Amino acid sequence: MAQCAQSVQEFIQDSFVPMVSVLCSEDAERVTRKNNLSFPELLRPFCRLTSEGHLRDPNNQVVVVKGLRISVTGVNTRSPNSGEVRKLLSQAVSGCQPPEGLPANVITAGDYDLNISDRSVKASVPWYSDWKEMLTQLSSSKYYTATTPWFEAYRENFLQSMPASDHEFLNHYLACMLVVSSREAVPTEQFLKLSQEQHRIQHSGEYTYPKWFIPNTLKYYVLLHDISDGDEQRADSVYEDMKQRYGTQGCYLLKINSRTGAAGPDEQMPDPWSQYLQKTNIHSPYEEGVLNNVENNISSEVDGLDLSDVVSEIHPLKLEQSADPGFPGNPSKAVNSADTARTQKQGSVTPGAAPTAHGACLTLNDHDRIRQFIQEFTFRGLLPHIEKNIRQLNDQLVSRKGLSRSLFSATKKWFGGGKVPEKSIAELKNTAGLLYPPEAPELQIRKMADLCFLVQHYELAYSCYHTAKKDFLSDQAMLYAAGSLEMAAVSAFLQSGAPRPYPAHYMETAIQTYRDVCKNMVLAERCALLSAEVLKSQAKYSDAATLLIKMTSEDSDLRSALLLEQAAHCFINMRSPMVRKFAFHMILSGHRYSKAGQKRHALRCYCQAMQVYKGKGWTLAEDHINFTIGRQSFTLRQPENAVAAFRHILINDSKQTATQQSAFLREYLYVYKSLSQPSNEGSLPQLPLPCVHSAQTRVFFGHEPRLAEGEKQAATHVWLDQEFDQEQAQLWAELEEQVVAVANRGSVHISFQPTQYCLSSHTENLRYPFAVVEEPMFVEVVFRNPLKVPLVLSDLSLLWKFTTKDFSKPQGGTTGETITNEKEAAAGKATALNDIISTEVIPEFTVGLEETKVARLKLLPHKTGELHVLGIVYNLGTREEDNSASEASQLMFVRGRQDLEIQGPRLNVTKEEKTSVRHGPDRRLDPIITPPMPLLEVFFINFPTGLLCGEIRKAWVEFVNVSAVPLAGLRVASTHPEFFTFGSATADLTPVTPTAAEHCSAYKTMVTPPSDAAVTLVSPAAFGITGDNRPTVVEIPLTGGVLGPGEALQIPLWLRGPDREGVHEISFLFYYEGLEKNAKLGHRVLRHKAVICASRSLSVRATACRSNTLPGRGKRDEREEERSGSMLVFVDVENINTSEAGVREFHIVQVSSSSRQWRLHKCINPAGDKDSKLASRERGKLCFRATRCRTQEATSDALEKYTFADLNLGNEQIVSSTTPCADFFFRRGPPSEPRKGGVITVGGLLRRQSLTPANSTDDSMTSIVRKCSEVELDIIVLWKAYVVEDNKQLILEGQLHVALQTIGKEACSLSQKEEAQEMVLLKFKPDLPPPASRPSLEQLSHLIKTCLHYPESYDHPFPQKSLCMVPVTLTLSNCSLAQVDVIIDLRHKTTSPESLEVHGSFTWLGQTQYKLQLRPQEVHGLSLKACFFQAGVYNLGTPRVFAKLAQSGTMCETSQQSAMPALIIINSV
Amino acid sequence: MAVCVAVIAKENYPLYIRSVPSQSELKFHYTVHTSLDVVEEKISTAGKAMAEQRELYLGLLYPTEDYKVYGYVTNSKVKFVIVVDSSNTSLRDNEIRSMFRKLHNSFTDVMCNPFYNPGDPIQSRAFDSMVSAMMVQSS
Repeated sequence: MAQCAQSVQEFIQDSFVPMVSVLCSEDAERVTRKNNLSFPELLRPFCRLTSEGHLRDPNNQVVVVKGLRISVTGVNTRSPNSGEVRKLLSQAVSGCQPPEGLPANVITAGDYDLNISDRSVKASVPWYSDWKEMLTQLSSSKYYTATTPWFEAYRENFLQSMPASDHEFLNHYLACMLVVSSREAVPTEQFLKLSQEQHRIQHSGEYTYPKWFIPNTLKYYVLLHDISDGDEQRADSVYEDMKQRYGTQGCYLLKINSRTGAAGPDEQMPDPWSQYLQKTNIHSPYEEGVLNNVENNISSEVDGLDLSDVVSEIHPLKLEQSADPGFPGNPSKAVNSADTARTQKQGSVTPGAAPTAHGACLTLNDHDRIRQFIQEFTFRGLLPHIEKNIRQLNDQLVSRKGLSRSLFSATKKWFGGGKVPEKSIAELKNTAGLLYPPEAPELQIRKMADLCFLVQHYELAYSCYHTAKKDFLSDQAMLYAAGSLEMAAVSAFLQSGAPRPYPAHYMETAIQTYRDVCKNMVLAERCALLSAEVLKSQAKYSDAATLLIKMTSEDSDLRSALLLEQAAHCFINMRSPMVRKFAFHMILSGHRYSKAGQKRHALRCYCQAMQVYKGKGWTLAEDHINFTIGRQSFTLRQPENAVAAFRHILINDSKQTATQQSAFLREYLYVYKSLSQPSNEGSLPQLPLPCVHSAQTRVFFGHEPRLAEGEKQAATHVWLDQEFDQEQAQLWAELEEQVVAVANRGSVHISFQPTQYCLSSHTENLRYPFAVVEEPMFVEVVFRNPLKVPLVLSDLSLLWKFTTKDFSKPQGGTTGETITNEKEAAAGKATALNDIISTEVIPEFTVGLEETKVARLKLLPHKTGELHVLGIVYNLGTREEDNSASEASQLMFVRGRQDLEIQGPRLNVTKEEKTSVRHGPDRRLDPIITPPMPLLEVFFINFPTGLLCGEIRKAWVEFVNVSAVPLAGLRVASTHPEFFTFGSATADLTPVTPTAAEHCSAYKTMVTPPSDAAVTLVSPAAFGITGDNRPTVVEIPLTGGVLGPGEALQIPLWLRGPDREGVHEISFLFYYEGLEKNAKLGHRVLRHKAVICASRSLSVRATACRSNTLPGRGKRDEREEERSGSMLVFVDVENINTSEAGVREFHIVQVSSSSRQWRLHKCINPAGDKDSKLASRERGKLCFRATRCRTQEATSDALEKYTFADLNLGNEQIVSSTTPCADFFFRRGPPSEPRKGGVITVGGLLRRQSLTPANSTDDSMTSIVRKCSEVELDIIVLWKAYVVEDNKQLILEGQLHVALQTIGKEACSLSQKEEAQEMVLLKFKPDLPPPASRPSLEQLSHLIKTCLHYPESYDHPFPQKSLCMVPVTLTLSNCSLAQVDVIIDLRHKTTSPESLEVHGSFTWLGQTQYKLQLRPQEVHGLSLKACFFQAGVYNLGTPRVFAKLAQSGTMCETSQQSAMPALIIINSV
Repeated sequence: MAVCVAVIAKENYPLYIRSVPSQSELKFHYTVHTSLDVVEEKISTAGKAMAEQRELYLGLLYPTEDYKVYGYVTNSKVKFVIVVDSSNTSLRDNEIRSMFRKLHNSFTDVMCNPFYNPGDPIQSRAFDSMVSAMMVQSS
């Protein structure tokens, strides 16, 4: 609420005060002029009486007059015309701004805390005050009520400038002071002259103004004596003379100017005048004019009152001419009107004029004298005069009181007396209704009422007003009636004793009448102001608010603004504060203020309203307010606030339409431009748009990737286009660790960190990254445009700070000075420092509407040191849709910057970090520029994208050192080492060019007809295989170990299609280092990711069987071989290629074996030289015989060697023991068994732990048993595929590996372990071990190999001899390496019915059961005899063989596999 | 019938505001926002007397020169405000009531949507069409 400094009573009393005019002689005026004051001005500060006055009312009751104030003005002080009033009022309002730096007034209303004071301008702007600040303000400030001094100033000025009107007498002159200087030659004459003058003014009828209260105005004669200048004796004598003439009560000798000469400057005198005289405006007209110009530019909406025009209009010179004819134009006019002229002048005083000191010649004694004078005048002169007049009027009225009211009016009708208002005369009828002649009795009552009111006799005044009101109403004199109503209400309110309820309806009627009937807004306004004040004092805020709101109208913006503001304050002051209404009316008020040209007030209003709207989701309203605040701030030259406000509109996800947003943006740019222009040389302003997602900033070190050049395909490496993938990053890091471990001979430094080329929010950015000098770095900045308007960024470049450092020197090198390109960038010369760091400038970068876009900005450092990327600098602009305004829009951009500040991840290690929110550093933008390092580029030539499974393809790889530093230690690590090989050391690296080698086979071949296997012995070490694990890191041989600057190396590369079909991602990590150790960067890596699509080719299944053939029939050496064991290997090959086009058929060209113990010996099934052809979905079966290697018992060195045996089916033998066949063999995936074990490590471990010593025998037995059935033979199937592609026939080659491990168990080239793995559950409980620890029955059944030797057919003459006896030898062969007990049971067990059916029965003769013990690998022949009774076909395979290991205590014998039917034909002869 | 329909959350931020497109949207935002004062006043006076039996319909909140503003408060303190053109004198109190009831029902449907996060702006198409039906009738 607008709380006034004074109480309501005081305010109303002061609104209506006795008016005293002054007529001053020229000499007297001169005396006062010494003090820079006119006579009325001189008196003004002392016009309030401090002591009580007394007078008697007509009933002889003493009335106490307290705190009376009189108003002294020059006689011809004209009330300013409406234009001037407006100007005056607007000056008063604009001159009265909320004081700066007072404690904030916070009103708590509901859940809102409103800050209503000057600081609210700042505090309420949402981006300025955070909540915390608000709270501290709230707690630190006491409860203040808002004051609106501008409103009071307005009200005071308004009431003072009220023109005197005929219907009321309150501001008519009651008395006139005639002032004459004592220096006058004949003062009395002068008095006479002035007196006549006064009379002439009042009674000649020449002047309608000023108005006089009563015909015989009190004249008060004042002799003004200048002590410093005049003769005091003479003055006294003149005064004596005056006393004689006018009586002691009618004259006064006022002595002033007692100070002689110039006062000491150190002497401090109070200047009571300053606050009464017109204050000079806060802003000079000049400034205001400038502002207006600016404002006209920016907005067409805000025009309002152009003060510069007003100022020129009331130029002092003009004032003289435009003297109102209604005013006295007497000789003394120039002097007396100086009062007004002066106020005008002061209003338009130029800023250059020094403020004038008032009362320079007055001492404190003089002040007292003036005060004394006023008191004397009031109590001796004015009050008795008033008292007398009241009595007189009362007497007149009482004399008529006898007549009844009706009669009174009747006489009026009958006689048509002069007192009767001339209703019939049209010209006298004004808008207010009627005009009474001055002597009309109704007016007399009103006059008396006014007099009583002025001397604070409110009771009498009320009754008089009441009577007058009735009279006026009955006469339909509406203006008069309204005036009486108004005053009746006011006096009723002011009555202190028996309080009458305040008749609010009187006021309402009065206002309505004034406004609607009389069309007198000024009076209506006065009435409303009074009423509102009264209502407020009675806490009827809602009524007051309604009243005030009703008074707003189109005709005066200033008034409407002030009243709306007051209404708003009423709302907030209600018992349940209506905050939103407050805010709304503040906005209305702000709007009116701005229309009235009161920009500061407008801004204040909007800011206060903002407090309610901000952050509550009412975005449309919020945007509107922000926009207005922005505009107002701008016109008030607070561009920072303006920018902040506009920024707020733009940043928020605004729901405005696109056109609105573009308007906002344009305005913002305009404001910004004007803001940034003066501070061009300083630092650049921060721009709010587009939004930069700092955290998503990515940094990349290195060159932009090259596109493929013809057949050359560059390594993919790392680039910003690749999304970050945690798994991939992990994979690369592991690869790098592996290769580093290899490079450092097995050890990885503890502080090893994988090289990161691309830093993003996903990577760990705790350490300063390294960038290499003369190699570019890219910073990818993510922009988001929240607007529906496209934004155009031009001249976009990075801002950086750089400290040169020479790292080659010891101890970190010397630190140079820090250089930054901020200044250059600000000036638009971002490339100025290109000799240190080349900064790439993007000329134009458009971010579309609501788009998120990345910009890649390049820096190329030329010196070593520490670089810090600070931010980005750019011109922000927008593009117009229409090209017509292109000229203007092109200029519409501002240069600014945005900082890239990246907050690191939240720390969460220590307790402190957990309990508080702390963030680690993020140094991705602060790279260290290191000395030059080698830089490798890798190209692949003829690198395929699709391969058949197992296909072998030769490609070329080129290594280029593109740096100026030699490169060494080139290695490559891969996730799929089985996929490629560079060839073994033994292979001749004949530098065949890739083109020449196009049609050659990848294999090394020899023309040989199919025959027995060619055998080669190869050590795996030759292929770089050491130990069991596959090599993941391969060293690439460089000539001389170094790749010089600019040198290129081309070497062949063999690829083998992955065994499993599908798309394979194969990662290569090339590792290299510089010749000299760089402290910062030890090594560098290059990544490549190849994508290979593998399609199905052949499926190979192989089984090994123990051959049952008996030794002894072949040659000696064969026998030897037989003795050591032989196997049959069955290979099932199926063409499972599904691609309908392309592959025609597969040819099995060769089958090779590779093993340490076994080798393929002979091809059994496809005899001859025809290779087996497999069309689509065909299946072929191959059969081979395998034998143990002869060299098995040779040196231990040979044990490590692999025997490669080639069985070619065609004419060409592929030397499988060389590159690439052997390479791929050694790089093949590990056999499925160990890997399977690896998967269930948990179980395996536990199992091992649970193994007790008691079980050890069991275990060893198992191993023995297992070993006997173990076979370690790898089959390599080499094939050729005929493919038609683009009408060209191509021959593709490939190889498939099958690892045979157990006899009788089928192995497959496509291992099915996938499914098996998926099904494995992770078990945390140990499995019960028995099934594994005990050799399974199946395993045991392979311990002994049995073979029956007998003649195939046997002729026997049954008629001669009924019994036929056939010798049969049962050969038992111990396959195991342990002693085995064997039991042979010959008793017939015709368990299976079929055997009975098919074969007739025969019997074994002799011993039916044999017990034997076989030494390891012993072959034992057992002679048996079978006895047949008749001719037929018999199955001899009935003997059952049980075997058990000799050591095992328990009899765990098992029946060996029942041999296949051994049929014998017994012929009867 | 209505020129503006608004749903305001318990915390007095708008969940939904829709006005006839011909007029300035901003004005309605201000009007609706200001009306919340009256709503709060009405709740606080009525709430003490009979918390349970309080009628949801608040009646005419305040008339402005051009519009009449009606209010409605659900038990969860979600406010509905309907602004009606003052010139539309044919509109009865009962009709306003039924409009509010419809609005409430539709709002309940919105709240029942498991994918609607209470407190978010309402974006339901059904609700939208219901509101536009209310507004279309006026023109």
